[in-house]
Amino acid sequence: MNELLPQPEHDHFRAKAAASEHPRELIIDLLRAIQEHHGWVPDEGVELTAEILGLSPLQVEEIATFYDKIFRRPVGRKVIHYCDSICCWATGGEQVAAHLQQKLGIGPGETTADGAFTLLPSCCLGACGDAPAMMIELKLYGRLTPEKIDAALEKEKD
Amino acid sequence: MPTLTIDNQTVTVPDGTNVLEAAQQLGIVIPHFCYHEALGAVGSCRLCAMKFEQGPVKGIEMACMVQAQDGMVVSTVDAEAQELRAAVIEWLMLNHPHDCPVCDEGGECQLQDMTIAGGHGIRRYRGKKRTWINQDLGPFIEQEMNRCIQCYRCVRTYRDYCGGDDFGVMGSRNRVFFGRFKEGKLESPFSGNLADVCPTGVFTDKTCRFRSRSWDLQEAASICPHCSLGCSVIPGARYRELQRVRSGINRQTNGFFICDRGRFGYGHVNHPERPRTPKLQGADAAWPEALQLARRRLTDIAAKVGPEAIALLGSPRASLESLALLHDWAKQLGGARFCGDPQPGRDRAARQLTALLGSRARSLEDVRRSDCLLLVGSDPLNEAPLLGLAVRQAARRGARVIVIDPRPVELPCNFQRLSTGPEELPQRLEHLVSTTEPTDDLSTLRTLLHQAERPILCGGGDLLGEVGIRQLAAAADHFGTGLFVTLGGPNSYGAALLSGDGPDADQLCEEMLAGKIRALVCLENDPLADGPQRMARALGKLEFLLILDHAPNRLSRQADVFLPTTTVAEGSGTLVNNEGRMLSFSTVFNPGIPLGISSEGGHPPRSFSPTTAGGEPRPAWAVLAQLRGENQSPEMIRRKLEGRDSRFAGLSLLDPDGEGQRVRGGGHPAGSHDQSFPHPAPEGSLPLLVVEQLFGSEQLASLSPALDAVQPDPQVLLHPETAAARGLKEGDTIALHTELETFSLQLKLNAAMTPGLLLATRLRDTPLELFAPGSPTPCLVGKGGGDA
Amino acid sequence: MNDYPQILFKNRRPGETVFLDGFRQTGGYQGLEKAIRAMTPLEVRETVKRSGLRGRGGAGFSTGLKWSFFPADQPGDKYLVCNCDEMEPGTYKDRQLLMADPHQLIEGVILSAWALQVSEAYIFIRYAYEQEARNLERAIAEAKDAGYLGTDILDSGWSLRIHVHRSAGRYILGEETAQLNGIEGVRPNPRSKPPFPAVKGLWGRPTTVNNVETLADVPHIITGGAEWFKNLARNGDGAGTKLFGLSGHMERTECFELPVGIPLREVIFDVGGGIRGGREFKACLPGGASTPYLTREHLDVAMDFDTLEAVGSRFGTAGVTAFDNDTCMVAVTLNLIRFFARESCGWCTPCRDGLSFIQWLLEEIEAGRGNMEQIEMLKHQRRNITGRSFCALAEGAMGPLDGLLRLFEDELEDHVRKGRCPFQ
Ligand SMILES: Cc1cc2nc3c(=O)[nH]c(=O)nc-3n(C[C@H](O)[C@H](O)[C@H](O)COP(=O)(O)O)c2cc1C
Ligand code: SF4
Ligand code: FES
Repeated sequence: MNELLPQPEHDHFRAKAAASEHPRELIIDLLRAIQEHHGWVPDEGVELTAEILGLSPLQVEEIATFYDKIFRRPVGRKVIHYCDSICCWATGGEQVAAHLQQKLGIGPGETTADGAFTLLPSCCLGACGDAPAMMIELKLYGRLTPEKIDAALEKEKD
Repeated sequence: MPTLTIDNQTVTVPDGTNVLEAAQQLGIVIPHFCYHEALGAVGSCRLCAMKFEQGPVKGIEMACMVQAQDGMVVSTVDAEAQELRAAVIEWLMLNHPHDCPVCDEGGECQLQDMTIAGGHGIRRYRGKKRTWINQDLGPFIEQEMNRCIQCYRCVRTYRDYCGGDDFGVMGSRNRVFFGRFKEGKLESPFSGNLADVCPTGVFTDKTCRFRSRSWDLQEAASICPHCSLGCSVIPGARYRELQRVRSGINRQTNGFFICDRGRFGYGHVNHPERPRTPKLQGADAAWPEALQLARRRLTDIAAKVGPEAIALLGSPRASLESLALLHDWAKQLGGARFCGDPQPGRDRAARQLTALLGSRARSLEDVRRSDCLLLVGSDPLNEAPLLGLAVRQAARRGARVIVIDPRPVELPCNFQRLSTGPEELPQRLEHLVSTTEPTDDLSTLRTLLHQAERPILCGGGDLLGEVGIRQLAAAADHFGTGLFVTLGGPNSYGAALLSGDGPDADQLCEEMLAGKIRALVCLENDPLADGPQRMARALGKLEFLLILDHAPNRLSRQADVFLPTTTVAEGSGTLVNNEGRMLSFSTVFNPGIPLGISSEGGHPPRSFSPTTAGGEPRPAWAVLAQLRGENQSPEMIRRKLEGRDSRFAGLSLLDPDGEGQRVRGGGHPAGSHDQSFPHPAPEGSLPLLVVEQLFGSEQLASLSPALDAVQPDPQVLLHPETAAARGLKEGDTIALHTELETFSLQLKLNAAMTPGLLLATRLRDTPLELFAPGSPTPCLVGKGGGDA
Repeated sequence: MNDYPQILFKNRRPGETVFLDGFRQTGGYQGLEKAIRAMTPLEVRETVKRSGLRGRGGAGFSTGLKWSFFPADQPGDKYLVCNCDEMEPGTYKDRQLLMADPHQLIEGVILSAWALQVSEAYIFIRYAYEQEARNLERAIAEAKDAGYLGTDILDSGWSLRIHVHRSAGRYILGEETAQLNGIEGVRPNPRSKPPFPAVKGLWGRPTTVNNVETLADVPHIITGGAEWFKNLARNGDGAGTKLFGLSGHMERTECFELPVGIPLREVIFDVGGGIRGGREFKACLPGGASTPYLTREHLDVAMDFDTLEAVGSRFGTAGVTAFDNDTCMVAVTLNLIRFFARESCGWCTPCRDGLSFIQWLLEEIEAGRGNMEQIEMLKHQRRNITGRSFCALAEGAMGPLDGLLRLFEDELEDHVRKGRCPFQ
């Protein structure tokens, strides 16, 4: 269980759920917490969420599979979200995607062999003024050029 | 009551009707998917477009989402509306695999119908279709997700209507998947309804997969024989085999849905061991010979000992027509003993109910509309599942639900539980009406019942017994409300009406043991399993035993004469449900050994004969008429019965597609009869309560192979404290010593149990079968022992 | 570039976030103090109504009118939800506010909650805005310590709690009823209206949903007065300032606070510095991905709700994305439709399946495999989706498609005739 959620957080959510009039509202918080700790949400994460909130696993799965930022499959240590929406597209987003793919040697939705990165296309990141943009985990990189991308990958590779 | 105009026709509809329903009332059928009478309107499919030309709403709108209002002028044939409907169908078909030739829904597929009705014919989209990997959802339901048109009806049925939480919708956009978290059996006892509500072939009945095209099925309106509620069903047969059962529609009883026992319990009809020929002491015989012998033996005994030496024992699963003939025969014989139900407890409860129900009767629809439901000694999901579903609908509308029961009753909704020992139920009821102390635990309940506008007191006949039912009726009167009491079988009520204050089976046993009764006629019952415990001994005293039945009957070899009868699906007739509603069923098909068995699955059959193999079973009423030397038709029997007994007025006019009709007048409680000597409970014993369970208890369904996969393992339940006090723990095998039997069961602990009580389910073909459901027996508990 | 009055951005400095002290130095929380000490909730609502403030979340509904439907005097739980989902491509204005001056929103939420007499508020924030969410949490803590939040706020006897609800992606969560489902933790499909959130919102209780910028405007309206706010606009019909997020092929793609009613030409050529690389302006999305294109002929149109509607477009969120003359508008539209199709919640047919049909048609045409009949099919789709979907998402997707079919049909035909994209 500890592998999914550190004990203090585990206790925190249990207490919160017990105190809440509608524990269901914690579902996203809990899934995100598991994801933050475990990298992605495995079946056991769905089951744990369900158990803490008094729901059936299916009821959690209905939510988990709706949101695109909840990963129900394994991802790399860091997820690269590159924007493919209109402002980035207009300013070279396709070249950014191509460069990333070439540099990492993977296609969209794939993970590098060393497990460092997963590459995912994303809708607008809210960085339209700084297009083209990408987000590595929750850190935003804007006005991308091939050089900036290379530098960012270098920096984020742990 | 708004009045509106649709396609130049004017219609006045009740408040709250939507425009789609208003159009339907005019006979205008507008394609729709997401709207369903029982599920309501959600406006997701966008198919039911109409043009609102005048009135408070203007323009193209989804008719299901607009409440009918005065002055509306609506067109369904408007060009824009028609274009939209065709567009919606085109969209819905984008990803459809067009696999109709191999789809079980073919011929009854709403998508096929709506595609035609919507005016979409030519595929213009040539892109990729999305495809899915299907899940194995267990033995009942087949999933084929590629056919899905995302109407969301399945989740709205399974989760919203039926309260299941293991099935739902996952994903989003044009990738929504309807299924389970992980593969596995659907847990809801109402899972089969998925097959009915899915408008296309995503969810189909696995038990009849690839057996028939729907148009090849023989279908007719029928009644479910698996409990006392009388749900409307439509069985379908082909090649002399009953292949499936789907839900019929009766807005007063089941509404639109049925439970999985009713849907998948049909296998008894095709059972390979089903007796299909008359037998004389176990040896096959011809009808004339068997009938003649039976007639002669009975006349002889009547002449020799007197007509009271003959007992005619009916059954709650026999039709009203057969029971009426049997009852009438008793008189014709000059005073033979008649009893409609082999199980005295249930019989007496049913008779008590018929005597009291009258204007206190409530229907399942009333339950669905109630705002406060008290359930006493009633475990709906196990005893009468559709009652559980009706309770849920009331709860969804805000009704309060309270359960007084010794069992860990579960319901598909929130409720409050007051646990009580089985023997205290009548006292609790008495207490409910007599005490006014505001501090006792019933005081809130009392207030709730007083404040509710449409409260209903529900009860289970097994646990309440005749005394409890009397108390329940008194409580109903106290709160100015009605009753909904479930009984043992589909015609318990009819049998009880006919039995009146005649003897019960206990008394018959006594008379058999005393040698007063020499001949017994059993109509569609198994007296060994369902009769009083003394029956086995009593049978040994008989000179003559005649059995009429369609189920494999362990006595059929012992009987002097055995005559095979038809099942409900193979004949027409009437059943009276637990609320006194006469419901008629019609013939689906004629009996015969299913071709799949007779020709070992080969087709066409390789042997020929002028008669149907295995086609010998006859309707019980016909057999009884022949035994009486008469020529009768069911119509004649019905007309005679209603002529003779005004309670059954209207019987001959019942329509199998209708809602049925309540009997007009009550019955009698059983005569007071000093029940067999209550033995003092041995020191240290606990009461063992044996009750019905959804699967495994009801006789006919337990003969259905489709249900084998869900047969529960025999076990016994105990409150954890009671177990701890005796040093027992979960999973222990414990030996149970009762007066009747000694056997052992696995122990399961449940904190919702009433302390100090042993609870087991009455499973067929186990020693537990012999216990009368609902009446506790003293039982000594020990560790270990042989298996049950 | 003109000196435009800076109201919401007055504390904005590159790379800096102003917290309580800085905020208070520039008049922060004075609107709240004024309202609570000197006005009644009804007076606040009336002032907002008179100010002409229209929702900044895209639909442009009068905030005062929306609040007038809210049963502020009804006892029992009621909620205010601040919509910071901001996932429509081309829109990134709310984020600027939360990075520059988060207390502005907190003051707006507290003041609006008081005006509506609710005691629990949610700020719903998108996944990508983690730093912004933390800014808000810090601002909330500071406001609590300073007595602007919590129990018995400014001795009024009234209390408020603000929760920050972080989302996990999906554009549909911006739709207000889907957002309520999102907060409740059920599937975030939109709900049918009626009943409107003001009657049955969060957990079935009266709820109002407002955009970040809308709420941030409220304290300024209270301090400055309704007339002052109204007069900030450049034209008579408009009111206030507006955060314009510029993007696409302009020289300066940043977020600016500009007066409502400013002409498009001024936005693109003065503020935005014109089209990059000295190219020509071809078209723009005036207010986010769901607004029909404007072209050169619209350059002198005033940027406000009514005027843009009159020329067949919408003001939306004022996220202006410009395209130069080398841009293929079929490809632009395809990109936008792909976004909408991917973000569809999957509840209703026109959106779930209709948008993927359109996507396929545009892919065929853009790839040079299209035919003239498919252009007719596009019109058929537009006709049958516009006004027919369950919520406004698919309706929004019809914005660019409508623009394409109305203004650039020749470009579509060119693709078909040439059998390839003429811009490649
Ligand atoms: C698909 C869709 C996405 C939306 N996204 C947002 C959003 O990100 N932020 C927002 O404030 N409003 C959004 N809206 C509008 C909201 O539904 C709602 O009108 C708005 O939050 C009301 O606030 P306002 O009146 O202050 O603008 C969206 C609407 C739709 C249909
Ligand atoms: S238009 Fe329909 S499918 Fe699309 S987001 Fe709205 S409700 Fe969902
Ligand atoms: S039936 Fe009306 S929208 Fe589906």
